[in-house]
Amino acid sequence: MVKEMKMPLLLGALALVASPVLAQQKPIPADSVRTIVLQEVAVVTKRHDHQQHLQNFYNANQAATTEELMSRMPELSFIRRGSYGMEPTIRAYSGGQVSVTLDGMRIQGACTDKMDPATIYIEPLNLQRIEVQTTGASSMQGAAIGGSLDMKLAEADFADERKLSGSVSSGYQSAANAMMGGLRLSYAAPTWGLRASGTYRKSQNYRNGRGEKVLYSQYEKANYALSGKFLLQDDLVLKADFIADDGWKIGYPALPMDVGQANARIGSVSLVRDNSERRWSRVEARLYANRIAHYMDDSARPDLPIRMDMPGLSRTSGMYIEGTTAPGHQQQLTVRADASASYLTASMTMYQEGQTPMYMLTWPDNRQLQSGIAAQYSFQVSDKTQLQLNSRVNMSDFAVTTGEGRNQLSVFGYESTARQFLIPSVSLQASRMVYKKLKASLSGGFNGRTPTASELYGFYLFSQFDGFDYVGNPNLKPEKSVQGEFTLSWQEPRLRLQTTAYASRVQDYIVGAYNPELSAMTIGARGVKIYYNTPYALLAGAEASAVYNITGYTQLVSTLRYSYGSNADGEPLPMMPPLRNITSLRKYFGDYLWVQGETELAAAQNRNSESFREQPTEAFMLWHLRAGYQKETEKKVWQLNAGIENIFDVHYREHLDWGRIARPGRNVFVQLSVGF
Amino acid sequence: MKKYTWLTLWVLSLITVFSTGCDKDDDTPTPTFAYQKIAEGEAAGTDIKIEIYSNEELTTGYNPIYIALFDASGKRIEQAAISFQPMMDMGMKQHASPIENPSSGQAVDGYFPGAVVFTMPSGEMGSWTLGVQVQVNGETGTFTTPVTIKEPTTSRLKSFVSKTDGAKYFVAYLQPQQPKVGVNDLEVAVYKAIGMMDFPAVTNLTLALEPEMPTMDHGSPNNVNPTHTSSGHYKGKVNFTMTGLWHLHLTLSDASGEAGELHFEVNF
Ligand SMILES: [Cu+2]
Ligand SMILES: [Cu+2]
Repeated sequence: MVKEMKMPLLLGALALVASPVLAQQKPIPADSVRTIVLQEVAVVTKRHDHQQHLQNFYNANQAATTEELMSRMPELSFIRRGSYGMEPTIRAYSGGQVSVTLDGMRIQGACTDKMDPATIYIEPLNLQRIEVQTTGASSMQGAAIGGSLDMKLAEADFADERKLSGSVSSGYQSAANAMMGGLRLSYAAPTWGLRASGTYRKSQNYRNGRGEKVLYSQYEKANYALSGKFLLQDDLVLKADFIADDGWKIGYPALPMDVGQANARIGSVSLVRDNSERRWSRVEARLYANRIAHYMDDSARPDLPIRMDMPGLSRTSGMYIEGTTAPGHQQQLTVRADASASYLTASMTMYQEGQTPMYMLTWPDNRQLQSGIAAQYSFQVSDKTQLQLNSRVNMSDFAVTTGEGRNQLSVFGYESTARQFLIPSVSLQASRMVYKKLKASLSGGFNGRTPTASELYGFYLFSQFDGFDYVGNPNLKPEKSVQGEFTLSWQEPRLRLQTTAYASRVQDYIVGAYNPELSAMTIGARGVKIYYNTPYALLAGAEASAVYNITGYTQLVSTLRYSYGSNADGEPLPMMPPLRNITSLRKYFGDYLWVQGETELAAAQNRNSESFREQPTEAFMLWHLRAGYQKETEKKVWQLNAGIENIFDVHYREHLDWGRIARPGRNVFVQLSVGF
Repeated sequence: MKKYTWLTLWVLSLITVFSTGCDKDDDTPTPTFAYQKIAEGEAAGTDIKIEIYSNEELTTGYNPIYIALFDASGKRIEQAAISFQPMMDMGMKQHASPIENPSSGQAVDGYFPGAVVFTMPSGEMGSWTLGVQVQVNGETGTFTTPVTIKEPTTSRLKSFVSKTDGAKYFVAYLQPQQPKVGVNDLEVAVYKAIGMMDFPAVTNLTLALEPEMPTMDHGSPNNVNPTHTSSGHYKGKVNFTMTGLWHLHLTLSDASGEAGELHFEVNF
């Protein structure tokens, strides 16, 4: 890290490696960025030196999915509707409030029920790192009020000597009787490199803490990624990336429907110029396109009054250009311009024998054009003081594109469905070393977000969460947020403590309001809600983390977080994660074996939203044990990871889990991989 | 729009490169309907030739009828008074049905438009004839032709006995003919039976509309109750939120209260 350590680099899988890591990459770090560097990936893409082999161990459960890795970051929680396709939330902001991008590329989910967040299209095997930004710094990625989550793709490499390398891995998890297999091949040459990887997962219905099978929680998926890199000039690189992700028979126990098939195709071409001699030390331009097809049906469910298919399609293409320059001594300016066009459509067909099929567009064909210019300016005022200014202007233009779609919306008297939004955001962050190694950062700003396609145009979208059909409202105003954040951190080689408190007031907070005059479309639904702007909502919370290297071979990592939300009437907001702590103690036995004990604690959540019929959630405590062993031969690196999660088979659910579905009980996992 | 100039620039470049999400204006054009000849003949006692047209096969319910008249030289007659005389012979008895005679004496594009509401299908119960009486320049004559009335797959005519005056009422379905998911024009026509031969249009009713999807047990929002326009026609709006089988429930009331209720099926 900043100070080279001879001993194992003590970075837990759940460590917060914010500033130190970035400090190596950028001259001026952004305090509000949290990064998880997946060391497993770092190893395979970089040189095979001893230290990096050791870092392999830090990714504790290598059979884990990207979602499982992310859920350990204190800022992130997941709304869970099934064991796959969980929706990421940042500090209790969800959906359209957060910007989730894949290597800077926008991907619109094709599911009206949010079964397909962009986080499912990347596997740990092709993930380089995850960047979570809260408050203002997220404005580089998009117009959001809740921060941004960006997943950096692993890249191919160049090498002076032509070289083929790769890895094969396989894993098993007992709770869901799940298998995974992964394969990676990389070829590096002096002026070009290729990297190909594939991951296959098949998971059965998992067993909960009472030994019961949770029906419809199975899934099967395959992910393929191919990336190429070509050195065009000394400082100019052309990159091409392609990801194909296919899922089948993905169960959602908390929903009335499952996914028969989900296909994503994601591609991009980019040019990167990296040259510190130039005025613009780094310039990146990228063109991208993706297509997501989603087929939701209820064919696996028994005894239904009516059979239903709900396919959805999303297409997005876009571009961005980003450049970094130093306008003056100790200053850095990054400017980004981006634009994208997304097209969405989703429909529902119900079948009743002897009748014409019942058909409607649940997302009337619509498109969204968005474009923004963002700038991040950092200034190291003095040895101790640093300023960062983030700003963005975002324009977007929404429209329903077909007469069929417009006809449908006219049922609600919505004559004009085209909308344009102009969303400015500005935030300022000041950091100062206030006392010895104690650093304080204060940031404040305002930002906003556009309504989503569902909120504008959704047509009887059933939400299992509160049992209502939701109808969009093209007359919505954007949500606007004013927020502040205060961070104190203490940093020394063996100890790093950080605590953050934040608060925000969201103006025109969008929720659905029950309209008793409307009759629900979905059989069994309790009524119809129409989205509207409530006066405001308040969200606040705190996070704390500690990374303590007790000895060179023993490390303690602990994170704590709490969120609080209330609406204008003082009622709690739904889906607020309760107080939660994860503490791990890891011990190394020599350089090849480590063992880690871990506790996961969540307090009860009794601040539940009555108007959403949300139920309180009980507290729970889990114990996990993980271990890793590595054996190096002359040409190969063997790794074995194993452990037991939820050792005491606790029957529990998290507050953000829909449908009061219990989480998995005791889970024994084992993963073996060999790299060459 | 000035502030959107650079947005437009970005967007244009995007669209030209990827052509994603281009608007499709696929509002279906209103179909031009065809005239279908049912019968032709001479009005008795005159040399006026009468041609009778409809849009489709004649069915139980409201049928637009178009009359074309020609003089002895084969020239179209543009000015005439026309009345329809539908009659069903049921052996023991005879009855007529509600009619709408061409409202003006002037032909429209060569045709005199009117309508006949056949109240039952032809069959073993009896057979229909349609008489067309014309009056041109003081000359009067009638042409009568047998017609076959079919029962449509979904019923387009309903009747009820009024709870308020004990009379039999007929309600004919006119619109929507091409229902779509969205807002549709709704039109019905109401007639009252006075004896066997007189079926005047009823103009003083209040209609309440409630669409329902019987298989799913839901309705639709923002419908507009049909109100009387002219000649017993009531126009409103019906909204369909999805395709499939709908029931349009109509409750008809007069000054003294609810007279009756019925429903039409719409399956699309
Ligand atoms: Cu779905
Ligand atoms: Cu329905």
